[in-house]
Amino acid sequence: MSSVSEIEYTKKSIPAPLRNAGFVLLAVGLVLSLLGIFTDPQRSAFNNIILLMMLISVSVGSLFLISLEYIAGAVWSTPFRRIFEHLASIVLVLPIVALPILFNLHDVFHWMHQEVMDADPILQSKAPYLNETFFLVRVGFYFAVWILFYFLLTSNSKKQDKTKDQKLTKRNITISAIFLPVFALTISFAAIDFMMSLEPHWFSTIFGVYYFSGTVLASLSAGTFIMVYLSKKNLLFKGISEDHYYSFGALLFAFINFWAYIAFSQFLLIWYANLPEETVWFLQRWEGSWMYISILTIIVHFAVPYFGLLSQPSKMNPKRLASMSLWIIFAHYLDLYWIVMPTFSESGFVFGWIEIGYFILGLGIIISVFVFKASKGNLIPIGDPKLKRGINFRL
Amino acid sequence: MSVVDYTQELSVVEGKPPLRSIDELISRPLNTKPTKAYYIALTVTLSMLGIGVIGLLLSFYYGTGMWGNNNPVGWGFPIVNFVFWVGIGHAGTLISAILFLLRQKWRNGIARFAEGMTIFAVMTAGIFPAIHVGRPWLAGYLFPYPNQHSLWPNFNSPLLWDVFAVSTYFIVSFVFWYVGLIPDFAVLRDRATTKIKKTIYSVTSLGWRNSNRHWQHYEMVYLVLAGFATPLVLSVHTIVSFDFAVAVLPGWHSTIFPPYFVAGAVFSGFAMVQNVLIIIRKIFKYEHIITIDTLEKMNKIMMLTGMLVGYAYAMEFFIAWYSGNPIEQFTFVNRAFGPYAWAYWIMVSCNVLMPQLFWFRKIRRTIPVMFVIAVFVNVGMWFERFVITVTSLANDFLPSSWAYYKPTLVDGAILLGSFGFFFTWVLLFSKTLPVVSIAEIKSVIDGSQPSHGEH
Repeated sequence: MSSVSEIEYTKKSIPAPLRNAGFVLLAVGLVLSLLGIFTDPQRSAFNNIILLMMLISVSVGSLFLISLEYIAGAVWSTPFRRIFEHLASIVLVLPIVALPILFNLHDVFHWMHQEVMDADPILQSKAPYLNETFFLVRVGFYFAVWILFYFLLTSNSKKQDKTKDQKLTKRNITISAIFLPVFALTISFAAIDFMMSLEPHWFSTIFGVYYFSGTVLASLSAGTFIMVYLSKKNLLFKGISEDHYYSFGALLFAFINFWAYIAFSQFLLIWYANLPEETVWFLQRWEGSWMYISILTIIVHFAVPYFGLLSQPSKMNPKRLASMSLWIIFAHYLDLYWIVMPTFSESGFVFGWIEIGYFILGLGIIISVFVFKASKGNLIPIGDPKLKRGINFRL
Repeated sequence: MSVVDYTQELSVVEGKPPLRSIDELISRPLNTKPTKAYYIALTVTLSMLGIGVIGLLLSFYYGTGMWGNNNPVGWGFPIVNFVFWVGIGHAGTLISAILFLLRQKWRNGIARFAEGMTIFAVMTAGIFPAIHVGRPWLAGYLFPYPNQHSLWPNFNSPLLWDVFAVSTYFIVSFVFWYVGLIPDFAVLRDRATTKIKKTIYSVTSLGWRNSNRHWQHYEMVYLVLAGFATPLVLSVHTIVSFDFAVAVLPGWHSTIFPPYFVAGAVFSGFAMVQNVLIIIRKIFKYEHIITIDTLEKMNKIMMLTGMLVGYAYAMEFFIAWYSGNPIEQFTFVNRAFGPYAWAYWIMVSCNVLMPQLFWFRKIRRTIPVMFVIAVFVNVGMWFERFVITVTSLANDFLPSSWAYYKPTLVDGAILLGSFGFFFTWVLLFSKTLPVVSIAEIKSVIDGSQPSHGEH
């Protein structure tokens, strides 16, 4: 394979099928979710939490991957960084997605009812953290920080398209170094606020790490799918190699294992110690038909992608990568569903058109925002000093 | 501050040393007589080891009453030391296996030594479970084998999982290390001047002839072993964390323990590897192989893992409060402000605050400063295990049985002995085997890679 000395990139428009698919999904999803809000507001609010966490995973997870590239000095991922920058722009719509929840807080969060708090001494002791005002302040803070770092990181990268200034890379490395600790804290506490506090008695120190493992998977697989799609349509650059595909596959595989490791650690330690205040969470997820969802999560989120990406050829195969990354996005949805919905429907799982509607809405938002950003900007960071090395990357 | 040129890949080896000079440089310590300083160092470590042996003999003769362990604190120094030394071993496998899978070329200069330290650290760690009940001659029962007493170990216990995890880890690490050494043994064989050396290296190099086919098999085996070693190293410290976390004791039972212990292990291991390599590169004149850039990268990893550990401390504290469980809350307040507050704050300042200095590039690249910081990190990581083990036991559920844990001189002697044991092996290693992989260093020297027409 010959190496590239000059980067050939001409901006082309995003293919109409993707644009249309995004639009249709968005429209259908909006209609279904709006119908949901009118027919069953409480159930919709729970679905809205899943949707919000899904979009946080994809967008803030992308921000994490961008800063990881800068901080680690990675080269192979540079030609694809713009994809993640476009995905990260979903942070801008997060406040809108969160809005319906904020109107329905009392339907979702048990601890927001004063009479519940008053009757429960354990919850009372958590009141300094679990109260509506502080909750809203925190949520506002998370969104503000994520949006701030989104602008900081991507504006420098975009500027570089024109100026090709290496100093911008250096500046982004510094910003990434500051962002990573901020990311670790905000993503953990967002997970605690939106998901762990659904069962206000329950606690687990690993919960933030657990959600983090899912965010990386969701953003990485969204990016991988788009990467394969765009390269198939010849919209990226010439010379995309097996080694590039392999790197995506290996990273996905690593995080599949990481997720399983964290999930298993959490389960084993709680099961082994058998303390009622902790086991309640897992027992709830073993109640009635939830048992099937619990087992399904292991198969869908671990077994299938594990064997699907285990071998070296499968990591290099763009078709396998595309199917596996779509699968993992669904798996992450299932994981969030398994975390959130048992609070809504305790005796067994419910799955109907409202759930489907919100899932479709999520896909619609991801695709539409990506298409919107991608048709305005470039698909590869043409001014990045590491771009050429990244295109010529060999293992 | 100079601006780095991101369009070029920096070589991990400084200058462009001729390949032949690498053979020369790395085999020189094996062909020269040890200096006086070497004998002095060896005397020091052997004396430390001797003190440790005396401590052990006293313990076996008089019993574990010679130690500071008391009624609520049944786990004292031996478990603290065990976890500490197993942790030290983790950096080696991270560098040699995980960074290999991640294709990090800068690892090539330090991997051999780090992997060697893994093996020695695991050996050192292995002493402690064997002695910690005071009857090392019964340790054989840890292995499940049919015996006339019909005695079986408790398969539900993570302490038994430790036996399997650590011994598997040791075997795989050793094989991985040895496989890496084979091409280097061949180089030494071809350069050997005496008959004895020639014979020894001929046997150990397993008939290596540098043929294309040999290399092909070698690389495949190396990759597969790296793939095996990676989950193994994570499992080892995960299971060590289970020793604590499966218990219902507040301060031990925390779901974040597995990744938190792994991060801490890598943290302390890197600090130890960095310390030793700073001395080695100076004495053996390897400054252009183990460059400042390499050390800087190690410092960055220390900073990262230090913050991961800090995250775990903070999250444990927060969740202890958030749980609303008064016993859980007491445990953590007691750690920070109770009788062991001194140990807790040593831990926090060494592990979380000190590595923050690495935010400054200047400090990351100044050898004396980074050396001192890494020493503090190891002190801090030892105290972390002390805090976890002792504070939770000393003030348990029954205030009537609380007692303060005070280590004895014998405890100290055994700890000192473990350092003596470890560093004796390190010293012997540095004079008997190539401490940097000759083959791997040659592969990352500028100009030795297959080019894609970019010259």
